[in-house]
Amino acid sequence: MTPELRRSVRQGLIGGAVVLYLASVGMLVAFDARAIITNVVNFATVLIVITFAAFGYLAGRPGKGGEPAQPFLLAGAVTGAVAGATVGVVAVLVDFLITGLEWDVRSMWTSVSPTLMELLSFGQSPIVGALLMTLLGFTAGLAAGSLHLATTITRKVILLGLMAFVFGALGAPLFKVMLDGMHIPNRWLFDRDGLTITGAIVLFAAFGLARLGSFRVGGPRQALLKVPGTSEKNLRWVISVLALLGIAVLPWIVNDFVSDVLGFVGLYILLGLGLNIVVGFAGLLDLGYVAFYAVGAYSVAILTARSSYLVGGSVTAPAVAGYTNFWVAVPITILIAVVIGVAIGAPVLRLRGDYLAIVTLGFGEIIRTLVLSDWLKAKFGGPQGLTEVAAVPFFGLNTRDPQILYYLIYAFAGLALFISYRLKTSRVGRAWAAMREDEDIAEGMGVSVIKYKLLAFATGAAVGSLGGAFFAAKLSVANPGSFTLLVSINVLAVVVLGGIGSIPGVVVGSLVLVGLPELLREFGEFRLHIYGAILIAIMILKPEGLIPDKRRALELHQPDHQPEKSVLSAEATEGIQ
Amino acid sequence: MSHLLDVKGLSIRFGGVQAVNKVDFHADPGEIVGVIGPNGAGKTTLFNIITGFYSPDEGTMIFDGHNISGLKPNALTRLGMARTFQSVRLFNAMTVLENAMVGQHTRTKAGVWGALTRSSKTKSEEDRIRERAREVLAFFGDRLSGREDALASDLAYADRRRLEIARAMATDAKLLLLDEPAAGMNPAEKDGLISQIGRLRSELGYSIILIEHDMPVIKSVSDRVVALDHGEKITEGTYDEVSTNKQVIEAYLGKAAEESHL
Ligand SMILES: Nc1ncnc2c1ncn2[C@@H]1O[C@H](COP(=O)(O)OP(=O)(O)OP(=O)(O)O)[C@@H](O)[C@H]1O
Ligand SMILES: [Mg+2]
Repeated sequence: MTPELRRSVRQGLIGGAVVLYLASVGMLVAFDARAIITNVVNFATVLIVITFAAFGYLAGRPGKGGEPAQPFLLAGAVTGAVAGATVGVVAVLVDFLITGLEWDVRSMWTSVSPTLMELLSFGQSPIVGALLMTLLGFTAGLAAGSLHLATTITRKVILLGLMAFVFGALGAPLFKVMLDGMHIPNRWLFDRDGLTITGAIVLFAAFGLARLGSFRVGGPRQALLKVPGTSEKNLRWVISVLALLGIAVLPWIVNDFVSDVLGFVGLYILLGLGLNIVVGFAGLLDLGYVAFYAVGAYSVAILTARSSYLVGGSVTAPAVAGYTNFWVAVPITILIAVVIGVAIGAPVLRLRGDYLAIVTLGFGEIIRTLVLSDWLKAKFGGPQGLTEVAAVPFFGLNTRDPQILYYLIYAFAGLALFISYRLKTSRVGRAWAAMREDEDIAEGMGVSVIKYKLLAFATGAAVGSLGGAFFAAKLSVANPGSFTLLVSINVLAVVVLGGIGSIPGVVVGSLVLVGLPELLREFGEFRLHIYGAILIAIMILKPEGLIPDKRRALELHQPDHQPEKSVLSAEATEGIQ
Repeated sequence: MSHLLDVKGLSIRFGGVQAVNKVDFHADPGEIVGVIGPNGAGKTTLFNIITGFYSPDEGTMIFDGHNISGLKPNALTRLGMARTFQSVRLFNAMTVLENAMVGQHTRTKAGVWGALTRSSKTKSEEDRIRERAREVLAFFGDRLSGREDALASDLAYADRRRLEIARAMATDAKLLLLDEPAAGMNPAEKDGLISQIGRLRSELGYSIILIEHDMPVIKSVSDRVVALDHGEKITEGTYDEVSTNKQVIEAYLGKAAEESHL
């Protein structure tokens, strides 16, 4: 067997194993009920095809060790066929165990249901099913392999079209509600929870053609600039205004549930922007960022809740009114957060990297256990926390309504965006960047590392506490259960996924990380499974984040070239040289 | 005339290594002092102590009339000292211009409030920073000026060394400490560097302390040469005096002759 063939077979076996894994965890059966194109193809089949195609595509790529690319078509087809055959053979074997030997396979392998067996054999006899599966793998692999023959543009156009169609179908329930809300007829596009055939073709063609069109004129930006009367400058204005308009009308074209989710996305934008200052701008890895979320929520709760000790209330016997209102509480909250930010920052000034991360993680937990403790129960309400937090007063509007609160949250998120931009492009931002790049040298160039570290912690804390403040007002409670380590991790994931240091990245990161799981909610127990897989895929495909910070991106793609360095100071690894 | 920099009895020990041993050292305003010595002689360590990165076990240091013992590097930058690093340490993910702009940090003030309001005062300060940064880049001709927006890591090696000097210049220092600026440069580049170091003093009035293994460079620019070995100052004087000193020749022959530095 030639090495190329061996590689294809290996890839195929892995592909088959992936499909079998999806079957084993019960995903295929669960997704069998979910249509992509109603009555034509369901999500389970699409998932199988995507897996075969992906491995078929990968098999044709040049290897890491500089091995040349394989004949694409052959590699793709072989890989796909092997993957399909693997699945088919296993299905036949399992069927034989069940019907031939009458083994109770299900007692060990609970997901082997009749539905699964039928699904894997396309409703045919096991042998025919296996052949069909092999054929499916062969076709998918061949098609994927042939993508290598296409130009980059064609490939991108096809991929975007396919993605548009799959995501369009998955989001069908959501999009349908939105279109219905706007009274746009959409029966031709969506059918129950999937797409119509016309819908699928239209989505594929529309996105594909739009991408193709924009390629023709050198990218989407150039395409827009071609429109008469547009220049770089007013284009930026137009885009900003359109974005604002979009944000403004969004709550009205989606339902309450989605508005609620968007509210949480907004909170994460606030948190993410705050952490981005600490981690992205100043380069201080903070794993206890949830502390400031908690500080914000609890400060606002104590100041405005009817159950607060300040007004002699308790969870069981709330007072008539809180101590003050949200707008008075916010500046006080920010002040408290800044003080705590500096207090947490001061002892860790000398720590770097991993050490800093661990210590801040400890601080995050300390804050959580403090509010949870019996000792401070009279103040923070122990495990129950503080309830009856006042709603945000705003010109008599009902701000408990997610559609109304949405605007307030996004107004503050906008403020945080503004603050981030201004800081980043200032003397302060430059000092932070220098410190992030090389702390010793920044100090050598005159940056007071102590001052700028504390400043980063304080600013990050202030922005993060705003998120907490709105959180308490939104849910009308502040309790320890909401401020776990997982929040710190999620916010960090928002920052990393979007692109460390990138401001728009935080927005997109929040949408993906907070919005996506909600979009996937109908997938129940597989939600986090898929979510995890998507995160891994994004980080492998775009390690620099979804919207990378210009500088970081370049850095990742270009190995730091200092060829002479090693020659000059072979032993100069210790200390400052 | 009092010395610009005057250090006495400087010593530092790392475990078993006496890296710097009772070194007396000075530099006068407008002077270019060359520091030589074989590998591991303690030259870089001496720089690290003077610029506040290490605190010495013993010794006194006066710079421009201030007692600088115990001051942090950023405080020393404010007083007017700036340095480059033997292993070229730029802010790699920042642009060429931004690297130079960081140099102006201690000469400017804008804080968070200024950044947020972007008042006319902040704006004019920012303009001034940019102008000064462009000025120091222009000192090296088009090589740096032409690439203001490139990332520092994208520069050719010799240009990275030049940018380090530019960044140090941008701090508006009185005294520049250059650690092997000619390392890795080809002969033409070295010639350029020699004339640039000369101009730094004659046109721009910097005083310079220069560590260099490249003897032609030392010879052409230094007013005075200090030789170190095993952390001790073995001799001091004009280039001709030092290069004919028996101890110096021994130190080099004994250690680095095969590396053909001489
Ligand atoms: N931070 C440190 N910790 C331990 N030892 C150190 C440290 N810095 C320097 N040394 C040691 O001190 C001695 C002097 O080193 P230094 O870097 O000052 O030499 P140098 O004269 O600059 O040499 P080169 O010409 O190779 O740059 C060496 O033995 C070195 O290993
Ligand atoms: Mg050295």
